Amino acid sequence: MTQIEIRDLRVEYKTPKSDEAFVAIDNISLDIEQGEFITIVGASGCGKSTLLLTIAGLVNVTSGSVTINNNTVNGPGRDRAVVFQDASLLPWRSVLGNVKFGLEMQRWKDDDIGERAKRFIKMVGLEKFTDYHPHQLSGGMRQRVNIARALAVDPDVLLMDEPFGALDAQTREVMGDELMNIWERDRKTALFVTHDIDEAIFLADRVIVMGRDPGRIKEVMKIDMERPRNAAMFESDEFAKYRRRLRDHLEEDMASMHLVTEVA
Amino acid sequence: MSVVQSDANKINANAMKFDWPVSRSTTISVLSVVIFFLAWQIAPELGLVNGRFTSQPSKVYLAAIEVFRTDNFLFHARISLTEFVLGFSLALAVSVPLGALLGTSRYARLLLDPPLMALYIAPTLILLPIMVIWLGIDLPSKIAVVFLGAIFPIIVNTMAGMREADAQLIRAARSFGANRFDVFTRILIPSSLPSILMGVRLAVGRGVLGVVVGELYVSQAGVGHQLMTYGSAMRIDRLLVYALIISIFGYTLTSLVRLLENRVRNWRPQ
Repeated sequence: MTQIEIRDLRVEYKTPKSDEAFVAIDNISLDIEQGEFITIVGASGCGKSTLLLTIAGLVNVTSGSVTINNNTVNGPGRDRAVVFQDASLLPWRSVLGNVKFGLEMQRWKDDDIGERAKRFIKMVGLEKFTDYHPHQLSGGMRQRVNIARALAVDPDVLLMDEPFGALDAQTREVMGDELMNIWERDRKTALFVTHDIDEAIFLADRVIVMGRDPGRIKEVMKIDMERPRNAAMFESDEFAKYRRRLRDHLEEDMASMHLVTEVA
Repeated sequence: MSVVQSDANKINANAMKFDWPVSRSTTISVLSVVIFFLAWQIAPELGLVNGRFTSQPSKVYLAAIEVFRTDNFLFHARISLTEFVLGFSLALAVSVPLGALLGTSRYARLLLDPPLMALYIAPTLILLPIMVIWLGIDLPSKIAVVFLGAIFPIIVNTMAGMREADAQLIRAARSFGANRFDVFTRILIPSSLPSILMGVRLAVGRGVLGVVVGELYVSQAGVGHQLMTYGSAMRIDRLLVYALIISIFGYTLTSLVRLLENRVRNWRPQ
């Protein structure tokens, strides 16, 4: 069943200095099935975060449309939750308070909020840190809270904007692995923006490759590897094949970027 | 050889080091205060300064007892305190909402920012004569001066606190469906609380100054009035008692606000 339909989507930003609008993404059409895990890769400036935030309802559509479960997106909604690159935790609230925050904003009934929040804190392995404040946690732990906060509101669609982008390589791998485990439980539709090629392949059913000027979809690459996935897959021939193809795409973009900077 | 030598020196230095009972810095601070009071007490006796102009700690102490016993102290204190409390409460009630409005509305800012900045920077005491003409020499003019002195630091700091709120947090809140009111109460207020309290702390100083100067300028009673009376009568000892009381009041209140400030700030990373 198709859950997300994107049709001829175009998003422009007004630039403060010139009257001309900057086209962040253009001509994007895509259908996403329920339960699919989609990763989005592309050189910086290709509009991958813009696409994600538009689906989240945090960026306005200029033309075209995004529909989720046949409802047109025109703002944030209970059917979606976002995990941001910056953990965006309230510094004056504890881990528990932060996970409760999303539930409170979505007006969940008071009596089950606490228990529910605790359950998701346990799911991301932070039950010993329930009363800690964000500044007492490591970057990886903060991102776990961020993920728990998003999962707790039981969204139909989970939107993740480079959630592991600020973490070191090792933590990143562990987090990717754990995310897979959590996702396997109820296989919610997920969109995941990243610039890490291995991460993109490892997580995805399909990888969306985006190009820039303007931001557009260059290729949709289906990843035919069985689930559940494990770290051994990184070494497989299949994985190497996907990796090579993605790298070619991205290097193309990088090359054109270098050209631009040299001219400038 | 030289190594052995330097080791021996080190041991010597350790042995000679005086073991301070309290920390060294505290000892020095206390000592400096003691020396100051001693010098103040002895200098007039030795004829080094004219005691009529400097008074002495012992005289100030005796004057303090007089002031509390016979000077109608509570009457004057109550008047000054009333002026302060009324003016300050009024300032709080107006400045926090106004600062919040300015911090969240661009149009309000465009409209009100220039005059506010001018009033924030200018000493509001320059308006004192006008207040007296408009409101008379009793309580209302003093309340107005306290109000005017206290209001601007709170407005400006509330505004700054709201504007400096983390845009990422607001975005995260919105992604969960927070409306404008939620963002205001759950994000803007808590994140600007330290800044608001800093404004309140600055305002305390200005408010106290407002009461004292207001009463010094023209009044029939109050702590400032007493300061003026004893100043013109050359009663340095009593004058110092009142000065001390005012300082202690301002210091205590400021410290209390700072305590509160530290409490709401303690979630912040160092």
